[in-house]
Amino acid sequence: MKHTSSVGKSNKTVLVLLILGLSTIIFPLYMTVVIAFKQPSEMTNSISGILSLPKVWSLQNFREAMEVTDFWNSLKNSLVISGLTVGISILIHSLMGYTLGRNKSSKFYNFVYLFIVSGMFVPFAILMMPLAKQTAEMGLANWFGVILLYVVFYMPMNIMLYSGYLTNIPLALEEAARVDGASTWLTYWKIIFPIMKPMHATVAVITALAVWNDVMTPLIIMAGSSENTLPLAQLNFQSQFGTNYNLAFASYLLSLIPILVFYLICQKQILNGVVNGAVK
Amino acid sequence: MKRKGFRSLALTACITAIAPFAWGCGSSSDGKIEVEIVQYKPEAANYFKTVEDAFNASHDDIHLTISSPNDAMAILKTRFIREDYPDIIGIGGDINYSYFVDAGILADISGYEGMQNVNEGYLEIAEALELVPTDGTYILPYAANAAGILYNRQMFEEHGWQIPETWDEMLALCDQISAEGILPFYFGFKDTWTCLAPWNAMAVELAPADTTKQVNKGQTTFTKEYGELAEKYMALLPYGPDDPFAYNYNDACTAFARGESAMYPIGSYAAPQILSVNPDLKMDSFVMPASDEKEGRTLNSGIDLGFCVTADCKNKEAAYEVLNFLYADDTLQKYIDAQTSVPCKKGNFTLPVILDGMTEFIASGNMTDYQDHYYPSEMSVDALLQTFLIEKNKDAFLKNFDTSWQRYNRDIIRMVQEYEAAHGSAQ
Amino acid sequence: MSKHENERKRTFLLITIPILALFICFNTIPLIRGAMYSFTNSRGFGSHDWVGLRNYIDLFSDARVGKSYLFTIKLAIVTTVVVNVISLILALGLNSKIKAKGFFRGAYFLPNILGALVVGYIFNYFFTYIVPALADMTGLQGLSSSILSSPNKAWIGVMIVCAWQAIAMNTIIYISGLQTVPEDVYEAGGLDGATGWKQFKHLTFPLIIPFFSINMVLCVKNFLMVFDQIIALTKGGPAQSTESISYLIYNNGMSGGQFGFQSANAVVFFIVIVVISVAQMKFSSSKEEQL
Repeated sequence: MKHTSSVGKSNKTVLVLLILGLSTIIFPLYMTVVIAFKQPSEMTNSISGILSLPKVWSLQNFREAMEVTDFWNSLKNSLVISGLTVGISILIHSLMGYTLGRNKSSKFYNFVYLFIVSGMFVPFAILMMPLAKQTAEMGLANWFGVILLYVVFYMPMNIMLYSGYLTNIPLALEEAARVDGASTWLTYWKIIFPIMKPMHATVAVITALAVWNDVMTPLIIMAGSSENTLPLAQLNFQSQFGTNYNLAFASYLLSLIPILVFYLICQKQILNGVVNGAVK
Repeated sequence: MKRKGFRSLALTACITAIAPFAWGCGSSSDGKIEVEIVQYKPEAANYFKTVEDAFNASHDDIHLTISSPNDAMAILKTRFIREDYPDIIGIGGDINYSYFVDAGILADISGYEGMQNVNEGYLEIAEALELVPTDGTYILPYAANAAGILYNRQMFEEHGWQIPETWDEMLALCDQISAEGILPFYFGFKDTWTCLAPWNAMAVELAPADTTKQVNKGQTTFTKEYGELAEKYMALLPYGPDDPFAYNYNDACTAFARGESAMYPIGSYAAPQILSVNPDLKMDSFVMPASDEKEGRTLNSGIDLGFCVTADCKNKEAAYEVLNFLYADDTLQKYIDAQTSVPCKKGNFTLPVILDGMTEFIASGNMTDYQDHYYPSEMSVDALLQTFLIEKNKDAFLKNFDTSWQRYNRDIIRMVQEYEAAHGSAQ
Repeated sequence: MSKHENERKRTFLLITIPILALFICFNTIPLIRGAMYSFTNSRGFGSHDWVGLRNYIDLFSDARVGKSYLFTIKLAIVTTVVVNVISLILALGLNSKIKAKGFFRGAYFLPNILGALVVGYIFNYFFTYIVPALADMTGLQGLSSSILSSPNKAWIGVMIVCAWQAIAMNTIIYISGLQTVPEDVYEAGGLDGATGWKQFKHLTFPLIIPFFSINMVLCVKNFLMVFDQIIALTKGGPAQSTESISYLIYNNGMSGGQFGFQSANAVVFFIVIVVISVAQMKFSSSKEEQL
């Protein structure tokens, strides 16, 4: 009882702090929304000017931004690429993370772990040219190649996350299944994979976000094809000598929605983790 | 059960292996010759779309595709690595063009008849961009931009200010403007590349056009050639905003458009951005005066867009046919109107209003290329200039310029000197 | 039992081989091919000459590269500390029993999704116009001009933006770590009178150490490789004071004509990061074992 009362009190403090912290997010967001609705001729360098509401609330910018980026088509490409990347990543990376996380005492697997994780630190710039050449040689200069590369790029981080998560999952769970005669493979899919649901959701969010915003990989790999992802299409708004911030902001707000929704769905999964119940 | 799992893994592997063939690109061949253009100005995408449509509507034998991708330079370099060359590329006349010529990627198009119609000034500029002189011509200069000073015409008319023609007149004008409580210049030096605009515009009068080439040949140093330029640049600073390094290009365009300064030393390319903020602004331009002589003045102008045929292009005739279409007077005029730029072709074109003050120079072909078109981008001369303007240490800047130049251009200098040794520096 | 052990070993091996092959194919091989360029004077296209170790020798005498290392390391250390402190607090806050949890979690995630162009524009505006105006009103002399225009202070601006964007991701990782802490640990702790800081230090934190070390490694890596925020905010300026290593590698190697030299830079940089991170991982895994 003592426990809950002290928590109740500190919760109010927490709430106040969270609301205060929120201002660092609300303010930039407010600016983004206001600018997305304004016309270029309403842009000024004065504070009152930038914070003022647009003269008319019209969806014209959004309509135009959707036209310029060929929104539905680019959205479809982005969704396909992000979706497949996330799906494949969860399947393959969790499996690999499990394998490496459960073999920490083996020299070989420890080496493989460090080998793959160190892949995270390769500066992308050094891979760009060789990858552009290699994917073209292999006939992978298309969105499939892009997905494949993403699966490889995010492998180190995801494997690190999965094998880190495994340290808190007791071996006893697997051993119980093993006694019942189940194979390692089956035990994994039946018991471990479901138990890592919060981590799947975390990996999904992190991977999806990285893929969703990435410009460089599709730019380099799909160079010369007419297919655009959303971030690629959004480059349309900026050139060296002029940037249409109003259209750009409208477009970014639009492309923010799908990933935000995805995050909110995943967030529920992160929190509804089954670990607490299962470990007892 | 276990086996089933591995089967699915194997299946994944198979898909991985087979997929490329399924998604492989299909080429439609209906007997037409395919010509592909990749051009680097995404802001002109709409214009090129209409050109593409018009060309295809009027040609049965050739099918033209023009793409205007974002970050075209990265895309072009990537495609060159893959040896997947477009037939024609549209690029600017800068160091990248020099590199492409040097790498043997571009075809000699001196035989193309349209070359006769190019404004000689721009042909010379194109020739000068070659790292070492070659016999051929590799670019059809299409449109140019010009840099100098953009001014608020309404403000000038209201106060009765005169357009300066010498350096002293300009300083006098700045003092007069300041005295009336108005800011003479706006600078957006937070974006380092804008530091190059006044630099280039003054350099055409104060330094030899081929400074960099002379340095490469070992005939002079930047310390010698750029001294006056650096001093005069510093003298401009007090006439700008208090902290010019806080504002970026966009801020400066907005400020100038809103009448916060009387002048803005930048290129004609800034006009669309400025006008988007204030469409009613009455704006004109004049050539940056940098010396005390009215004779021998020249306009800072360079090739903003030119077309090159790649060496790999299969059907040069078809490519020339496309160039003919692009270079037709009315097609070019539409580009000039859409992009507020200067035609590189001889003939009667209607120039954008904001270039009124520069028309005389353009018509007579009196123009000199941007110095920065010869600077390798990795040397970041723009950042060196920004550092100089912050620290105001002329000697250190010039010394650094010289040593950096030697460092970043080592291979080019060696190549130039080998060429000189082989061909002699005789005329 | 040994039959079982064999089965287990075989399964692990059969999982590892194809995935490792995929990884080698699209990461290790291109890395080696890229590293080959570091021995050439390649511009990224066209022909090139072999120049031996020239690029590496140049690298160690290049003041600009040296400066970029100093800046990047300073930024990475400070930002890592700031981000981890704030996101750990935030994760604890968001994990506690509060109202409108979902809303807060969504809101705090937003900085991560805003594109670089938007973030760059807004923070430029913030530092250039809003902060100086606020400083004038409150009479704070030190902030009356934009921190982004001062070569000594610009890195702070970069740090703030990096932290602002990164906190969301680290918070998520901490939150998912907190899910692995069984409820009964708190209950038991509560009975012993462990609350607040004590509870965190002795009960919660030890259990989320794996996530702490993951976050440390990811932070150090992300901020050592900082690129987007530099492009959005300062483009390396003012006076080249915020040129990060990745910025140099991309800007001079890919956009510029220094492909060979910057490949050498990338190779050295890769080795540096691997050494730092492996040391970090070894250190934290020894800590884990102690507990």
